[in-house]
Amino acid sequence: MSLNFYRRVAFGLSPNEKPDKDPLNWAINQLDTIPDLLWPGTIPTEKDLRKKYGEWVYGDREVLRKKFKNDKHAYRKAKDELRIKTGERYFELNEHAIRHFQTKYSKQPVFERFWLFWGNHFAISEKDFLAEFSTGPYQREIIRPNMVKTFEEMVQSVTTSWCMIHHLDNSESFGPNSKKGMEWGETINENHARELLELHTVSPNAGYTQEDVIQLAYIMTGWAHKWDRKNLETGDIWFDQEMHQKGDKIVLGVKYKNDAKRELAKVIHDLATHPICIKFVSTKLCRHFITDEPTDEMIKPVIEAWNKSNGNLIEIHKAVITQAYKYNENTHKFHPPEIWLMQLSRMFDLNIPLSFEKMNYTFKSKPNNRQRQLSWILREIGHSPYRAKQPNGWSDLEVDWVSPELLLRRFWFASVELPMLVKSGNRSHDFILTCLKNNFDDHENMASLIENFRFGISDYDLGQKYGVICNLPGVLKT
Amino acid sequence: MNCTRRNFLIGGSTTLFLSGYFPKISFASMQKKNLIIISLRGGMDGLTAVPVIGDKRLKKLRKKLILEDVLNLNSDFGLHPKLEIFHKLWQKNQAAFVHATNIPYTGRSHFDGQNLMETGAHIPYKEKTGWLGRGLLASNIIGKGLAISLPMPLLLRGVPQNNNFFPSPDFVETKLIDQIYNEFKGEHNELIKSTLDTIRQRPLSMQIATDSDDRKKLALEAAKQLKDQSGPRVAVFDLDGFDTHAAQGGVDGAHADELEEVNKIVTILHENLGQAFDNTLILTLTEFGRTIKQNGGYGTEHGYGSAILMAGGLLKKSQVYTDWPGLKKKELFEGRDLNSTVDSRAVYNSAMSICFNQDPEFLRKEVFWGDELPDLSQELFKI
Repeated sequence: MSLNFYRRVAFGLSPNEKPDKDPLNWAINQLDTIPDLLWPGTIPTEKDLRKKYGEWVYGDREVLRKKFKNDKHAYRKAKDELRIKTGERYFELNEHAIRHFQTKYSKQPVFERFWLFWGNHFAISEKDFLAEFSTGPYQREIIRPNMVKTFEEMVQSVTTSWCMIHHLDNSESFGPNSKKGMEWGETINENHARELLELHTVSPNAGYTQEDVIQLAYIMTGWAHKWDRKNLETGDIWFDQEMHQKGDKIVLGVKYKNDAKRELAKVIHDLATHPICIKFVSTKLCRHFITDEPTDEMIKPVIEAWNKSNGNLIEIHKAVITQAYKYNENTHKFHPPEIWLMQLSRMFDLNIPLSFEKMNYTFKSKPNNRQRQLSWILREIGHSPYRAKQPNGWSDLEVDWVSPELLLRRFWFASVELPMLVKSGNRSHDFILTCLKNNFDDHENMASLIENFRFGISDYDLGQKYGVICNLPGVLKT
Repeated sequence: MNCTRRNFLIGGSTTLFLSGYFPKISFASMQKKNLIIISLRGGMDGLTAVPVIGDKRLKKLRKKLILEDVLNLNSDFGLHPKLEIFHKLWQKNQAAFVHATNIPYTGRSHFDGQNLMETGAHIPYKEKTGWLGRGLLASNIIGKGLAISLPMPLLLRGVPQNNNFFPSPDFVETKLIDQIYNEFKGEHNELIKSTLDTIRQRPLSMQIATDSDDRKKLALEAAKQLKDQSGPRVAVFDLDGFDTHAAQGGVDGAHADELEEVNKIVTILHENLGQAFDNTLILTLTEFGRTIKQNGGYGTEHGYGSAILMAGGLLKKSQVYTDWPGLKKKELFEGRDLNSTVDSRAVYNSAMSICFNQDPEFLRKEVFWGDELPDLSQELFKI
């Protein structure tokens, strides 16, 4: 078995890990339990961060805008101070540190790869201040705990989470015949219903119509944040009967009787267990771990595991890994920038993320450059994880990640930035050779490419070496 | 109606030959024509950029936002003083404006609106490609798009081999690029190989460029590329910050700062395109305009109708092209916003037809699903 399997399903092997005698077993055994989050720094709860979100929007919208209406300079200054006080510039950095600490040190790196996958399947794209306050905790508290449950349970949690409801505007969706809809002359907002069908469950392959989208939106009306003057849109999610469309609904030919809040769980059950949904999501999983265009033959065992286990994600994950193992030698997968960075960080024990002590924040001044470094790198290599441009998340296709500037950014990172992230004890040529040997079958060939620079240990010399080896065909891809 | 996202990568260009449209071959059409789009994200206020003169109602509703001195355009409209270059070009028939226009979207959400301004569609997130990408593909113009941003903007998606230019904080040594290129030689990865070819063929100025925070440098490089007869034919710039809910101000407010950025880009393009400016169209794009009435923070809320700022030698004449809906309460959209009387997609469709030497009727069908978009080429552009 090629060593690239450890990068295909995880992040490669760190200098103190050794290849396992049974790589398939090694990988499969990582999927039964949820590993603890290892970050020793602060890990705030979703609710706490939502409160901060509320303080920020309330402070800006209800206080500062009114107070400094005549003075754009004073307004900007006061707004910057509020950013500092509420952590508006800080929490996303901390979330990136939590995430990257996990992918670097987790004893169950294969599980972590699935964590990234599901977070992107149920993506929260860049909107309002979600990336600043909410997308990180959503990944930790909504996605992660559901990874040992069923797919249906995961869809239920995601669909009624504050983050997704805010992201897709379900709080602005009123049943036109509901009490509030009639009083205020409001109607549905279809966004969330459409994405629940298109992106999260059955996909357009199910052939649903615009009428299906509308009917599902009716079922979803009422699932909204509880608004009040102080918390504004950051109140908890509840079911508001006065927003809910009355009457029976029909989605994809199935009738859902007028049953208030219970309608949603019923329709999600049907969507999440729909054969087309199972095929769609299985294909996406295989695309992520095997190759951009997985064949029916590759996908079939995953679908079988899904059906046999009634959508149990542990069993589904195991089937995906088994297939990834089976096809490891004759398929290729190009890794998007963030996963590439995580792999480099683990394989070469880079100095990211920052130590938790240095990540401490006092809410008195702007986060410093070192605190911003990881997030800055992610942005510069074009893959800031919680800022996907659209609700369909980041692409998993090579074609979307190979543009002149995106490739150049990787060359830049490896040759200019990475050397500064090499720990002082790891600057020797031998260290690089050890890491290469641990992770690549053709390490000898790789070593020969950097042989000329073997005596150099300056940042420039390291840049010459890492610049090449991190961007070789067999490193950009597995 | 079936809700699948349409895939425009399939079958777009083949229908070109069925359209029966053959552009007249003349010297002018042999010259490369450039189309430059500047996205103004956040909702550009058409009434701040191109204010209507002497409207009492506007004065009353925007007491704190009124511009004291505007540049003169005609008896009905003025121009924001920060848009100097447009005023200068106006004298030479090289600047014009479309007013009371917007994409057909009235939902007032930035995210949905920006998605629609780029896809040109009616339902947010339904389409995966941009109208400009589809227009290029339908016109069989491949590999000629240049995005001045790191991710490929949705606007340009739908046609392969676009280039993007947004240099990293430090440049990459040519030696390294060559070395990696060599390692890919034996590989069967055509996509990466051809991308590396594009990188290696870049002019030196592009190769050693750094610092994408400097918009001036980016615009300068874009101008150089566009000037090259074999270079890109389309460029897309991205600006944000137009969402001025507070302290929007008049001549010197927050909105003025953003207009100044537009002015800078157009100034640099004009100065550096040289002769090529005569064969260029620059158009702005935004998701919506802003409400008439100032809010409690002396800013404005999300609205509907806005304006398109245009510059370039391919304009027919200096004009404010509009079917002015008026600003009386009953004339406003939902009683609060400047209405839109021109579907801005008609302007973009006509602009593409001019720059890509393509039948507007054909483009309308290929790019905008045959939506009712009148051909405005005669009115707005040099044919």
